[in-house]
Amino acid sequence: MTTPRDPLPLSGRQPRAVRSALAVLEEVVAAGPGITAKEISAALKMPQATTYRLLNLLVGEEYLVRLPDLKGFALGRRAARLAVPVTTTPPTAARAVVDHLRGLVRWGVHLASFGAGQVTLVDPDPDHPPSDAALLARYPQVSALGRLLLADQPEWRALVRELRVFTEHTVSSTSELAARIDEVAHDGIARQCGELRADRGCVAVPVRAPGDGRLVAGLALSGPANRVADPNTELVALLREHADRLAPLLA
Amino acid sequence: MRDRPVLPRLRERSPVHGLRRRGLAPLEVFAQSVSGAAPSAAMAATPAIVAASAGGGTVWSFVVATGLALLIASCVARFTRRMAATGGLYSLTAKGLNPGAAFASGAALLVGYGMLAAAALTGGATYLQALVARLGGPVSVLVPVCAVVVVGLAAGALALRGVRLSARVVLLVELVSITLMLAIFGLLLAAPPAGPELPQPAPGLGGIVAGVLPALAAFIGFEIATALGSEARRPFRTVPRAVTWTAAVSGLLCVFAAQTQVVGFASVPGGLAAQDAPVPTLAAAGGWPWLSPLLDLGLTMSFFACALATTNALARVLFSLARDGVAPRAFGRTHPRFATPHVAIAVVVPVLVVGLAATIAAGTALGPLLVFLLTVATGGFLVAYLLVCLAAPVFLRRIGELTWTAVAATAVIVPILVAALVAYVLASGGTPVVVVLAALAAAAVAWFVWARLRRPAEVAAIGVYDETVAADVLGDPGRAA
Repeated sequence: MTTPRDPLPLSGRQPRAVRSALAVLEEVVAAGPGITAKEISAALKMPQATTYRLLNLLVGEEYLVRLPDLKGFALGRRAARLAVPVTTTPPTAARAVVDHLRGLVRWGVHLASFGAGQVTLVDPDPDHPPSDAALLARYPQVSALGRLLLADQPEWRALVRELRVFTEHTVSSTSELAARIDEVAHDGIARQCGELRADRGCVAVPVRAPGDGRLVAGLALSGPANRVADPNTELVALLREHADRLAPLLA
Repeated sequence: MRDRPVLPRLRERSPVHGLRRRGLAPLEVFAQSVSGAAPSAAMAATPAIVAASAGGGTVWSFVVATGLALLIASCVARFTRRMAATGGLYSLTAKGLNPGAAFASGAALLVGYGMLAAAALTGGATYLQALVARLGGPVSVLVPVCAVVVVGLAAGALALRGVRLSARVVLLVELVSITLMLAIFGLLLAAPPAGPELPQPAPGLGGIVAGVLPALAAFIGFEIATALGSEARRPFRTVPRAVTWTAAVSGLLCVFAAQTQVVGFASVPGGLAAQDAPVPTLAAAGGWPWLSPLLDLGLTMSFFACALATTNALARVLFSLARDGVAPRAFGRTHPRFATPHVAIAVVVPVLVVGLAATIAAGTALGPLLVFLLTVATGGFLVAYLLVCLAAPVFLRRIGELTWTAVAATAVIVPILVAALVAYVLASGGTPVVVVLAALAAAAVAWFVWARLRRPAEVAAIGVYDETVAADVLGDPGRAA
């Protein structure tokens, strides 16, 4: 079960509606949060009823949100998915922490940012190249880092586009995936053993902001699939310790 | 830059935090609303009641009532497309009308959901008893009393355990029940008529109008999805659809059931209106006596789902009133793990179950009790519907998004609901219903006066809802401003 789709086939012959919806989005960005429906309608010279309908549609899809006074609009979190996430190089101090961990373990160490609601590798291990960045971003459910992101979102189903099967170990049913995601949310650690590449596996822990505990990044170890399945108590403790040290540097 | 007042700071967490935000699938929300309306029970019972007033116009009465329910749904959707509420219609009304009207809506909803839950338990017990008797079991007052206790506590436990679980149970039970009903009614409609058709009285306009009120009562509970606003995934899309589709589906099912029964009794003197148990009679006449236990089973299940859905809604209305500061604050607490308003459920369910079980154990006949409870519930819902329909255009004007269609919908539905309310009061004149309603209204007024005196600030700000919090907004304008 991915995002519920409209059963009506779209002919693609409503260019004005699409154009108007995009214009409304642009107007909210340009005017800043708090702009009202009437102001948008006036600025775009669009009929009021049409504007209200488009706004309700965009709010329903959560690209826009209504501010608490219910009059003003602002961009919703989902709108972040319209932009290509900017890969920012983490601060030197953070890279030093990641490098320190690389010196201690023989596995690959990767740092990913979850800023835009997507997995973006910001410090991949140069000696152990990770899987293709586009794959990780597109199929968050098959990577340990992606599962951290999903477990943090109540609406994670909306982020799972397609349960693509990569190997014989890939989780291929929604119910099984839901169980895994619940585990991740409960344990605060994500694993994947040979689900993306048969011989590789991954363990990842979240990096959370020290103040409000929001998820900012994920730190992952990748290694042989059969070893990832083991408890690896010491390795996980090491991983968590470094994630804690990263928290004040990244948040 | 345009001239705009400084943005209010966004909250870090929703005022209705504690419930599981954005977790319910569209189908689960829809199932709650359908179960609240309990179309299976309405299919079996209401056509005969409507026929008593409407005569030959029974089917038309249902068509008109469906139209009215859809109009009410359109008024409700003006709100639910824009805000996610936990207190159902009362949270919505608060955004349009003054605190007094919002409070009245809250009290009316408590009466409505409370009585509907009690009615569902009574209905479930009635048909379970009939089923037990048909299968050769004992006929004793113990059966319905046990049924009320077991079913009531089971509904409470499921509601407590999590909205997701109870929504899934409701979905499954309601699906089985409606399928059973459709199969039974399909079979009955296909049966050859028992004899030559008697001349029917022409469906007069007066009859149709008189039948609309009991037909509208078949829809009560269809707005339950409005109480799940914060818990539904994509609520601004899911909730209005759930309410509108429930009105449409319930209407279709009722029209179909009414048509089946009107045709089935066309050759019987007195027609459908003279029937006490129309569906079993039709089944027996058709030579399918085994349909009756199936019917009892389907109805028991439908009432169980209805009890569960109304318990969820009742607890959330109470929860919202508590978060608003006008009900005891303990009702506003949520369970840390199950994310349900556990205190409200733990208080409301035992009170309902014990009260009802004691009433039945004291020897009250189930049939009249069910009718009484449903009648009182209908009164509560009529008041709540009237207020929310009045509030819709006021709300739109307040946020600067008024359209003429919203005004037109209210202009049509409000006089009709006022007339329905007057007809309702006149019809219940001299019955215990009026006494009970007057007592409940007096209690609500006393409660409001107390709240106004003790907590004036809370009363003035009544109407919490699941507002946008800092984390929902891209770029977090509240902090930047």
